[in-house]
Amino acid sequence: MGYGRGIIVGHWVTLRRFLRTFFIGHGATLKRRGGGHQLFDLWPGKKKRGEEPTVQQDATTEGLFTVEYPDERLPVYERFRVLPVLVYDDSDGNVRCTCCNICAKVCPPQCIWMTHAAGPDGKPVPLPEDYYIDMDVCMNCGLCSEYCPFDAIKMDQNFELSNYERHQSHIFSLQDLLVSSEFYANTHPEAYASDEQVVERGKVAKKKDQRLQKALGVGAKPASNPKPAAKPAATPAT
Amino acid sequence: MSTPTITRPEWSTVIDPVLQKELEQHVLVTTWDKLLGMVDTVYNWGRRSSLWPLGFGLACCAIEMICTASSRFDIARFGAEVFRGSPRQADVMIVSGTVTKTMMPMIARLYDQMPEPKYVISMGACASGGGPFKEGYNVVSGVDKYLPVDVYVPGCPPTPQALLNGLIMLQKKIDGERFTQAPWYRGEVERDIPVPVLGPDLIDLRLLEITAERTAQGLVEAREETLEKPPIIPAPQPEVEEAPAEAAPAAPKAPSKLDLIRAKSAAAAAGTEAPAEAAEAPKPAAKPAAKPAKKVKKAEARPSLCWLGDAGLKELNDRLNSKFGAGTSTIIQAALLIPADKLVAVCLYLRDENTIKYDYLASLQSVHFEDCIEVNYQLDSTINQGKLIEVRVRTSQVEGEGEVPSLNSVWRGADFQEREVYDMMGVKFTGHPELKRILMWDGYSYWPLRKDFLEPYYEGPTKVFDSRCEDGRHFRAEEFNPYGSNTKIPKGWNGWGELDPGDDTKGKTLLPSGVEISELGTDQFMVSMGPQHPSTHGVFRMNLRVDGETIVGLKPVMGYMHRNHEKIGERNTFLMNFPFTDRLDYLTSMGNNFGYALAVEQLMGDDSKPPERAEYIRVIMAELTRVASHMWSIGFLLNDLGAFFTPALYAIEERELILDLFEWASGSRMMCNYFRFGGVAFELPPGWIERCRGIVNDRLDKKIDELDRYLTNNEIVGDRAKGVGILTAEQAINFSMAGPVLRGSGVSYDVRRAAPYSIYDRFDFKVPVGKTGDMFDRYIVRLEEMRESVKILKQACKDIPATGPILAGKKTYQIKVPAGEAYSRVENPKGELGYYVYADGSATAYRYHVRSPSFINLTALEQMCLGHSIADVVGILGSLDIVLGEVDR
Repeated sequence: MGYGRGIIVGHWVTLRRFLRTFFIGHGATLKRRGGGHQLFDLWPGKKKRGEEPTVQQDATTEGLFTVEYPDERLPVYERFRVLPVLVYDDSDGNVRCTCCNICAKVCPPQCIWMTHAAGPDGKPVPLPEDYYIDMDVCMNCGLCSEYCPFDAIKMDQNFELSNYERHQSHIFSLQDLLVSSEFYANTHPEAYASDEQVVERGKVAKKKDQRLQKALGVGAKPASNPKPAAKPAATPAT
Repeated sequence: MSTPTITRPEWSTVIDPVLQKELEQHVLVTTWDKLLGMVDTVYNWGRRSSLWPLGFGLACCAIEMICTASSRFDIARFGAEVFRGSPRQADVMIVSGTVTKTMMPMIARLYDQMPEPKYVISMGACASGGGPFKEGYNVVSGVDKYLPVDVYVPGCPPTPQALLNGLIMLQKKIDGERFTQAPWYRGEVERDIPVPVLGPDLIDLRLLEITAERTAQGLVEAREETLEKPPIIPAPQPEVEEAPAEAAPAAPKAPSKLDLIRAKSAAAAAGTEAPAEAAEAPKPAAKPAAKPAKKVKKAEARPSLCWLGDAGLKELNDRLNSKFGAGTSTIIQAALLIPADKLVAVCLYLRDENTIKYDYLASLQSVHFEDCIEVNYQLDSTINQGKLIEVRVRTSQVEGEGEVPSLNSVWRGADFQEREVYDMMGVKFTGHPELKRILMWDGYSYWPLRKDFLEPYYEGPTKVFDSRCEDGRHFRAEEFNPYGSNTKIPKGWNGWGELDPGDDTKGKTLLPSGVEISELGTDQFMVSMGPQHPSTHGVFRMNLRVDGETIVGLKPVMGYMHRNHEKIGERNTFLMNFPFTDRLDYLTSMGNNFGYALAVEQLMGDDSKPPERAEYIRVIMAELTRVASHMWSIGFLLNDLGAFFTPALYAIEERELILDLFEWASGSRMMCNYFRFGGVAFELPPGWIERCRGIVNDRLDKKIDELDRYLTNNEIVGDRAKGVGILTAEQAINFSMAGPVLRGSGVSYDVRRAAPYSIYDRFDFKVPVGKTGDMFDRYIVRLEEMRESVKILKQACKDIPATGPILAGKKTYQIKVPAGEAYSRVENPKGELGYYVYADGSATAYRYHVRSPSFINLTALEQMCLGHSIADVVGILGSLDIVLGEVDR
């Protein structure tokens, strides 16, 4: 008995699964849970980049599971990390990086390289002149941003980085890496508002002016000790 | 702004300029070019919407590629769901992961076999430029050194969405192609690439002459002379009080540079009783010059966290000495040093006659010291569990002279591990039935894990390397190497004429001998299965000898994904190594982190004891990983049994939800890099634990039951899995099997119970075991283990302290690890994952070894497959649940 029964049961499993998308858990509302395109949303207008509906899936998700990238997207979690970026401050346009080299020291595959900027007198000042990240080596581990004492290097969330060429475009220089602090505050609201980072920013802000003076060679004292300047802030790193 | 309109006087009709342009382009065909342009549109549209990828995965990125094809991301929406097993039917090759030298000839061959038009997507940092493994000696720095790449997808690994983005980029590229200029319609365009050859190293035949010339010049050797070499320390010696006469032959001729390190290790040898003040007293190598050395903190001497104990070891030592004659056994750093000629006898005694029967060889590895190469064995007992001991044996460190008796006759599980030691350090094992290279290929010129081997991109003994940024320019590592690629060939090598691209250097020596089956009057022949095969779970290869359909011999050929994890681990500082452990068994990164953290924490001692909350977070993460991994494993077991992809789609859904949790907490789906020494990296985000409770309490049980309902009583699963691939309990123990495979054979051995780590002793869970040890039992054990994991998760989610520190001490990147030796074991989803770390007090590990369950479980593959058919081999391999990142490391 039962030739073909398995096939019918199999189809029922599939159909049941489809129907559960809409009917199970929160009343029969013909609505798909978690957001995204709905059942009667057959011809959704093409949303602009960044405005696509986000599909949030969790323990209650049943049935249809597909997130139709690029028309729908998965939520980007704040800690989601792809490549590092360097943050500059909106208020004055200064790079936060002091070229202390800690990110390069903790980088597991050794993809971060930088050189000190030199002041007018030729002495090094705590600012990066060159800053390179080879994204063909970077392993997106986030250690650089975790151990940066100046809140200068952060992990970006942009994953849409595909391109047709690598020899010119995959080594990111300082210019490619810079993002504004406002951008960072938008992508990482929780971290930006966290106590540690607020304290950190306060500290860095004080240091920043001194550095700028030094870089411009305005200060009477020549930039003889960039390292001690970096040290005190390095210790209270979180 | 008003749009200008064109009024045509003849008809005085108003035509919208946009419309007019459109009409001219698409309807009013005026030129031949435009006609062809229309053909282009259709032609490109057809091709772009049916890109069939080659079912071809190399490394971690392949898992994300499979996820892209599964339910959540559904690559079918782009017409690319037909992953073809054969290159002859494929349009696009997604090079997903690390391209190794061993695999490169296969990739080139596959590419050549693909018909035009063909495209290559280089997925992930490794495929694009070598990635984090770039400095390894077996890694090709970018697949574009050999293949023309169309689209690069950066990321490590790129998320499925990023891969889809790359696919869209490829579609855009195809949209721009012209029918009339397509290279594949022009006969003169030669797109095939020559297959590189595995000689002394990977040799690109296009560059043969220049390679030969530079080899003759010895440029590599000349460059190496200018670089700082890695330190080589002397082996630890017994405490002076006990055996002063047995001091090693002194090697006083070494340069003074090493004095410091030598003094460190002399201090390390001082032993257990007085760790604080013993730094100066015993100097086995009699080096009074070692005064200026600063005291190195020493770790407590113990082979593992859970072991026999000092008293027990002393008693065992005395017993061995009285039984086999004085001098048989000496205690060095809480382990027994046995002379090589008595090793087999002693091990047989330990296995069969000792009060605690050491029937289980947990791990085996070697360390290269200045005066010897030491092979050490971690032994445990499955009857009297958790009484681990370590046995050492020493042999000459001179290249090619080291010899140690093989323990293959005592524990079959030593088979592959001894071959690995031979492959990596050149130690010969007398009596080993088949001592061939296992991860590299026969003919490779070097013994890569010897301390005096420097990789082609070698820059310094430890990171941080010198800057690669000068005069406003960035240099790539290639530019330092005389060959311009990751190549190193010894100066005198001179076999250029014999290089043959058709040669199968890697697998030709590993041919199974087979057995005769008399009742079938058929011929036997060889089948090479893999490394590019959809059901070998990665780049794994088996050389099969079949009699008709019946397997009469099988030899695994591996190393196609050997990414030099251990060599890189010896250059990494302890902290840097965390993200690399993620990439071992890339389905269980949290578990890998866990094991590594425990190994180093064992050395660091009580300073790094994780706070309560961190322990709970660790357990939650590890158990979520187990559920995710077993889900994947069961889904793909069914794949291998013929239920293509549907069960996997159901199982992967749960895994995706768990990955969401990982991504939320740690920032990455797969490569979590979440553990730190003494805790975890980040606090759980607000709302995390609630969602985790939701999934654990309300969902996972139901889904496991669903899987159970669909599969367990399924007729086909029963027919294919019951009674196939049987491994008895005795065999499983003797073969050093681990995890669900060992328990499937009825041995109740789970490291969480045998040698409890972290806070596993607080949770109530069972250790499920099978009865017969067949494929079905292994499946059932995995299913039950998921239920037990959910049980642990429920308890952990309930009991976790709401607040509290998550890291012992201050967060710092400068980790100070005392000198010593540690072997940590965790029960990873695949089995016992062990990390052997030998620290010399510096910032990096002196020796770092991973006991990988997937690798050792393969030892018994031939045993399980004999007598079955090829179709069963696929299933049996699926039931072992190997991950190639861990097999080859």
